[in-house]
Amino acid sequence: MTSSTRPLRLLGAPHLHAGSAVPALMLHSVIALLPVTLFAVALFGLAALATMVVAILACLLAERVCGPRSAMGDGSAMLTGLLLGLSLPPALPLWMVAVGGFVAVAVGKHLFGGLGGPAFHPVLVGRVFLQAAFPTAMAQAWVTPLAAGRATELPATSLALPFLSPAAPYDGISGATPLTALKGGEATEPMLNLWLGTVAGSVGETSALLLLLGGLYLAYRRVIDWRVPLAILATVAVFSAILHGHDAERFPPALVALSSGGLMLGAWFLATDPGISPMTRRGAWIYGLAIGLLVIVIRQFSGQAEGVVYALLLGSALTPHIDRWTRPRPLPEGVER
Amino acid sequence: MFGLRAGFAGGIRLPVTERSDGDGLIRQLAFAPLLRLPLRQHAGAASVAVVRAGDEVQRGQLLARAEDDSAVPLHAPATGRVVRITEQADAETGTVREIELAPLPGDTQEEVLKPALVAERCRPDELLLAIREAGIVGQGGEAGPTHLRLARARERGVRVLVINGIEGEPGFCRVPALLARHARDLLSGLRCLLRVLETDQAVLAVESPDGEAAGAMLDSAVDGPCPTLRILPPRYPQGAAELLLRRLAADSRGFSAAEAVVFSLGTVAEIGRLLGGGRVVTDQLLTLAGDGLREPGNYRVPLGTPVGFALARAGAEAELDRVLLGGLMRGRSLAGLERPITKATTGLVAVSARSAARLPQPTSCIRCGECVAACPVQLHPAELGLLARRGEVEAMVDEWHLERCFECGCCSYVCPSHIPLVQMFRAAKLQHRRARQLATAEAAA
Repeated sequence: MTSSTRPLRLLGAPHLHAGSAVPALMLHSVIALLPVTLFAVALFGLAALATMVVAILACLLAERVCGPRSAMGDGSAMLTGLLLGLSLPPALPLWMVAVGGFVAVAVGKHLFGGLGGPAFHPVLVGRVFLQAAFPTAMAQAWVTPLAAGRATELPATSLALPFLSPAAPYDGISGATPLTALKGGEATEPMLNLWLGTVAGSVGETSALLLLLGGLYLAYRRVIDWRVPLAILATVAVFSAILHGHDAERFPPALVALSSGGLMLGAWFLATDPGISPMTRRGAWIYGLAIGLLVIVIRQFSGQAEGVVYALLLGSALTPHIDRWTRPRPLPEGVER
Repeated sequence: MFGLRAGFAGGIRLPVTERSDGDGLIRQLAFAPLLRLPLRQHAGAASVAVVRAGDEVQRGQLLARAEDDSAVPLHAPATGRVVRITEQADAETGTVREIELAPLPGDTQEEVLKPALVAERCRPDELLLAIREAGIVGQGGEAGPTHLRLARARERGVRVLVINGIEGEPGFCRVPALLARHARDLLSGLRCLLRVLETDQAVLAVESPDGEAAGAMLDSAVDGPCPTLRILPPRYPQGAAELLLRRLAADSRGFSAAEAVVFSLGTVAEIGRLLGGGRVVTDQLLTLAGDGLREPGNYRVPLGTPVGFALARAGAEAELDRVLLGGLMRGRSLAGLERPITKATTGLVAVSARSAARLPQPTSCIRCGECVAACPVQLHPAELGLLARRGEVEAMVDEWHLERCFECGCCSYVCPSHIPLVQMFRAAKLQHRRARQLATAEAAA
């Protein structure tokens, strides 16, 4: 008769696990963002690198100060920092980047109860905070892509001291992104450049192609629910195609709408955050549709040039309601049990 | 969409586990020095002892008779002497009586035999009675009395008999063994069930790894009714009777779930084997699995054999981490190995100390919705988990249908935060049941 020489462990069923884990999910997201991160450094040089590094450090600091000890290892603060860095204008003063990063994690995440708690994406909270606090800097700190000397020196504005006016005005820097140009009725960049990303814009939002690639990797790895980006992008494409067909002068074609601004980053990397998107598959379709519609409405019919940030915020505000509407109904009981 | 076509949404694809079936080999386990036979062997009422301490009994002789309709008789698994009858703690009823039987040494284990039955020459009620008298209970895991299920199906006017050849747990290998070694018993059991149900429509459902063996088994049927073979791609837990019926009814359109009844492959084989040989249930076909065993596989184990004895005979290592009564998805981990094998046992898993995994700490829910997508009965495990943490058992039951959870384990399996959802649900169900018992007791007082 076997009587194990050591006490048997008592564990609850099931005794198997799929092997997925939160830190691994975060790691996959970082991997998916690597191409776009490297591209950003190539495009904007030291400015992009400094922005991302400062954003990540600020998020990690906030995680350390506000979060539980155990949360440091799960990689979520690092991902938040990276995403925030990617979504900011490259020449934003670094102290503002740091404040944004700290606010994202401290306020956007831990004030709402930590991982899984926030109703809004911490990255968006950080970005909107910066937008509200420093509107001029956020609107003007763009950098001309592939500028000479980008690898060796930081834009003067990056090193501006807190609350002092920037050492140099933003005038040495490219004035407008493709979207602001569109809004102003100016000629837009060639389409290919928009997809490749060799245009002015936020650190990591310019290359639609690389973001798409990273997003597809996440969908393939089943880190994200593919329904969300598909619904958003399809809605944006269809809606803008209709508008373009109606008035080609005023509204850009679908391919431009898809490749510009923060749409790709938002659709694949922000909207898909499990915490702010609906839990059901049917809900994911509704959520994506709503965000897609909001993006175009805000871009085309409001004073804002870019609509992704606010569309995502409004979309995640809908999430609790969508979850209620699409609440799963238990399988009816059969005759046979 | 997909869910409707497949009859139910959710479920999971388990990784393919190596099955140690050795071409369907079934090994006979020797008698342990002492067999312990609880009078409650299965779901339903306990039976009533008809022997006393000191009685000599022969293998197959009646030990306890069934008084309640939901009981079946219990027979001696070995020729030997009744040592004593004890009271043992029982989770459901407080205590249950248990017969201790010491088998005679040596191989003088001739069975008491009854006349063999041939389905075609018996009336349905005779067959029903014979099934009950043989002490047969369901072999699919739920272990309800077979005669009861069959009688109810007959009353309902069931048109289609579904034979469930889907392995209930990863790593179990009873299905290939039954298909390879018990083809004749399966076919005669099938004829018997069809005769009682007065129909000739049967479906045999297996998952693709067993498709070939099932085809070969059916080819061996020379005369009589032949079931339609349905080979399903593997998906856990489609072997649950309710889900299987939905699955089959959804894409065959030949019948509705209400018109069919499910019997597991093991039950059908048992009916054929016992009735055809005039025998009664004296042992149980089990898969002994896990990396803690040197000779895992299928074993025919005498009822009452202690778990530890069975594991030792299958080459258990000295250092075990866990022993599961049942399989990896739904099995209960045991604190001790004295517990006897009953008619409700379908397998054991011995996990070696070598592969003892450190349990990841649960972290907070990230609301990813994986559990919602995985739940085969379309509950909301994440919401139920939050309510369980807050102790809101009433809301779990009344608003979120906790009672529909059959603890398949899919939600815990997919949770990236390693939240022990199934355990929380079990605890909540228990708490709810206790509260209700207390309430009825108070109302009565």
